[in-house]
Amino acid sequence: MTLSCSDLDALLPEFLDGELTPDQEAQAGEHLATCAQCTLELSELQGVTRLYREHGALKLPDDARKRIAAALDIEL
Amino acid sequence: MSTLLLDPIQPTARQVPIHSARMQSRPTEPTDTQTLGQLFAEFADATYTLSYRILGDRHLAEDVVQETFIKVIRALPTYRGEGPIAAWIYRIGYREAITMSRKRRDDVTDPDSAVFANLPAAESVEDTVMSMDLVERIDVAMGSLSEPVRAAFTLRDIQGLPTREVAEILDVSQSAVKMRLARAREALRVQLKEYLA
Repeated sequence: MTLSCSDLDALLPEFLDGELTPDQEAQAGEHLATCAQCTLELSELQGVTRLYREHGALKLPDDARKRIAAALDIEL
Repeated sequence: MSTLLLDPIQPTARQVPIHSARMQSRPTEPTDTQTLGQLFAEFADATYTLSYRILGDRHLAEDVVQETFIKVIRALPTYRGEGPIAAWIYRIGYREAITMSRKRRDDVTDPDSAVFANLPAAESVEDTVMSMDLVERIDVAMGSLSEPVRAAFTLRDIQGLPTREVAEILDVSQSAVKMRLARAREALRVQLKEYLA
């Protein structure tokens, strides 16, 4: 069965999380091979995750870490 | 001098398995400093990230980290190892962040309240972010999302937790998590398009 763009759109969340069945994956791959728009959209969505995985995590500032550790020591 | 900061973490027979693992046994003492120090060292940054991504305020996020680990200290003796300890700590942190967010909303006299809500409306976000660097831009873009969507996206796409664990932490169904993720990714894709080529 050939997927339409909206069919693929519905599968994108599972596609991005690697949760498609082998059949669905094959169908999605078939559609992506011929649809530049969906390929671009998929690539951008993957880019969002990559961007936030690389830049979205924060480090607790050292001064806060020390202050909190001291407060936790009082709890012990 | 802080014991939690300075105590070296050495492998012991009572080593706590961290990510996606269950505790092999309960700590025998509620004041097991080494275990608590290890948990703090391992999860302080992740708890801070989750809190900041929900609250959009670094000082409040620091307060949430402190409250979270105070609760961890108090509750650790009752932790039964029924799930990954990471998820247990994230759940406590998430609830603390939500409590803090509600408190801030109720406190109408706080000039710093509603940090994300004070950002420009969605239509003008793009104009505002044009002059910001990437880190600020991804902050502002996330600020345009609702709180539940931000929480799901942070745990799944920033922290890399499995959808099932995210659902447990947020106390919602996996399909609700997937819906929130789809909403987050699409909104961020539109706002950050120029960085995604």
